[in-house]
Amino acid sequence: MMSEFTIQADNVDVTQIMEQIRQRIREKRGADYTEQQIRDLASVKLERFLDPRQVRSDLVDHYRKLESPGWLDPIEQAAPIPAPEAIAFDEETIYVSSRGGRLLRFARRLLNPLLRLFFNPDPIIFAMARQAEINTWTLQLLQRQTDLVERVNKQFERVGKKFAAREDLDTLNYEVLNNLVVEMTRLAVDMKNHKMRVESVAGRLDFDERRARALESVVQNRSTPQDDETDETAASGAPPSPARTRRRRRRSRRRSGGPSSSSSDGGSVRTEATSSPATGSNPQPTAPTDASSSSAVVDTAQSPGVAESGDHTPAPDDIPSTASDHDDQ
Amino acid sequence: MKVAVVVQRYGAELNGGAELHARYVAEHLARHVDVEVLTTCATDYITWENKLAPGVEMVHGIPVRRFPVSRVRDVDDFGRRSEVVFDERHSIASELAWLRSEGPTSPKLVSYLRRHGTAYDYCIFFSYRYYHAFHGIRVAGSRALLVPTAERDPVLGLRIFQDSFRAVRAVMYNSFEERALINAVADNEQIPGVVVGIGSEVNAQPEPSRFRQTSGIDGPTVVYVGRIDENKGCRELFEYFQRYTRVSRALTLVLIGKAIISIPDHPQIRHLGFVSDQEKFDAMAAADALIMPSYYESLSMVTLEAWALGRPVLANGRCDVLCGQCTRSNAGLYYESYEEFAETLHTILSNQPLREALGRNGRTYFNTHYTWPVIEQKYLDMLDRLEHEDTGNRKRTTALPGWFARRRRDQPPARHVVDQLPSGPAVSTLGGA
Repeated sequence: MMSEFTIQADNVDVTQIMEQIRQRIREKRGADYTEQQIRDLASVKLERFLDPRQVRSDLVDHYRKLESPGWLDPIEQAAPIPAPEAIAFDEETIYVSSRGGRLLRFARRLLNPLLRLFFNPDPIIFAMARQAEINTWTLQLLQRQTDLVERVNKQFERVGKKFAAREDLDTLNYEVLNNLVVEMTRLAVDMKNHKMRVESVAGRLDFDERRARALESVVQNRSTPQDDETDETAASGAPPSPARTRRRRRRSRRRSGGPSSSSSDGGSVRTEATSSPATGSNPQPTAPTDASSSSAVVDTAQSPGVAESGDHTPAPDDIPSTASDHDDQ
Repeated sequence: MKVAVVVQRYGAELNGGAELHARYVAEHLARHVDVEVLTTCATDYITWENKLAPGVEMVHGIPVRRFPVSRVRDVDDFGRRSEVVFDERHSIASELAWLRSEGPTSPKLVSYLRRHGTAYDYCIFFSYRYYHAFHGIRVAGSRALLVPTAERDPVLGLRIFQDSFRAVRAVMYNSFEERALINAVADNEQIPGVVVGIGSEVNAQPEPSRFRQTSGIDGPTVVYVGRIDENKGCRELFEYFQRYTRVSRALTLVLIGKAIISIPDHPQIRHLGFVSDQEKFDAMAAADALIMPSYYESLSMVTLEAWALGRPVLANGRCDVLCGQCTRSNAGLYYESYEEFAETLHTILSNQPLREALGRNGRTYFNTHYTWPVIEQKYLDMLDRLEHEDTGNRKRTTALPGWFARRRRDQPPARHVVDQLPSGPAVSTLGGA
């Protein structure tokens, strides 16, 4: 879990150590972001992670800038003033008595020619009659307007309620979009990290496969009759195979003072059972490799202690030893 | 020369940071000058209830003059007033009311200083944030020295204390970070100041084996010494340590101190409670490192003690002072997250050469800056400097605003003020403490 790193203990620099430790942590984490950093990324650098043709990078800002429509106030009407009563006016009106007396009406008509000597009342009567009609028409018009305003106010109230609902919805939309953008950014960052990890794992897998193939080829090479190959090689004058060259190199290293002068039990057992191909004392062809022998080789190859045991027997090859056991049996 | 040490509480049994600091300074200065301690009758820093008798008594050979506290602290009232001055726009009157509510309100101490202050050549006030220091500095005037013991908390942003920092003759800082904070908030660079800190009485011969025998703790150990409180970062420490134990089954966390919060029931966490100094030093010497998880420290004495014992420190990097101390001393690592906690702890525990090198650096740092002869000399040098310095007729304290101005709500929230102050460890090129 923890990292190790070398520190010059006699010359400790805490700042440097802390920098190393933080570098290690960053490497372990990969690209790690705090919540605030993710929000910053979500607000300004979306195009780095997302396709700008599909997602607007200023989406959140756009929503923030949207001004609230506010409430639509209905038109307030003052309390209606009672309309004056419409008066009917015609050419008889000026002669009529308010008490309805016919005698007075008759007298006024009788004196009418005398009145006309002073001025002509007909235009006045006409104007007054027309004014009465206009008044009536105006009253009707006002009444209609009032009705219209009332209807408009009712419409306004309904629209206002719709706007209020829409405003709540906008707030919700903003929240949802904001969260979506943040989460998309987070996912994009995660995806990048995962992509890097997948690439790393793929690289390791590729390396392991190549290594496995190499080991298998070693097994196959060691499984083939060595002496036949030696004879054929000698007869044809062709250069020895790479595997054989490797074995010779290894043996020569051991003879010139290899590290393992003591032999383990396993090594000695193998040594006794194994005849070194180099000495040619066991010219028999090896038995076909089976699964167990194959795995034994892999294990041995991975364990330097076993592979290098038995200095006095310069044949570390495990396949022939197993094959010899089979032969002995 | 006669010097008064003025502190909110004083006693041989009191272990609070500033109070212990004051006692150590008083006792060591007493070897060179005539020292008298002026303090209250309180022993509890929450209530300030009068527990000790007023009058004069001798504590470790130092005369201690105690004055009663006029009112105990109403915790609810103090909390409400704290919210007002820390988080809202407020007035100077609100800050003064907050100060009275905080206490220890001892008008008799201030009155004594007013009447008999001239009997002392200098008055060294400890802890700027309390009633005695604010009013005492205004009374003592040019004879006042201040040991602020300031931390990065909202109190530092209150307007009334800016005058205190400018009104004193000299300021004895605990750390470079504290000086940077106070200079930034009070603009008092012109006031003579020196980073002093505090020495520590460390047993030179601790016996780690004795601790291991008595406690039965074997294997790698880290130790925390101090009040086990959330404010000290202990809750975070418990969380981090329990996570860390999933990968380290052998490590033991030893806790020494009074527990204010509950301690997790975990086989790798051992609470020893309050122990003697000898046991404490034995435990620290037996530990592989000291952990100091506190967010706010003006100067951690325990950290210095660990360094004196040659032990590395793992500190909370969010505390500027601790981070700065570790950086300057090259004697400790610090963390700001669990990942850093785990990595730094693992580094200290697994790398013995590094551990020893950090310990050596810590011991050198302590011996260079925090042994008592060094501390005493810094105080004496400052007193000598002030003795020869022309005080002039400058009026150092500024009068409080008038009745109306005092009630004008024109002061910003203290928390905002502190948030705007520079942060981070102060990297000194002086090689100082």
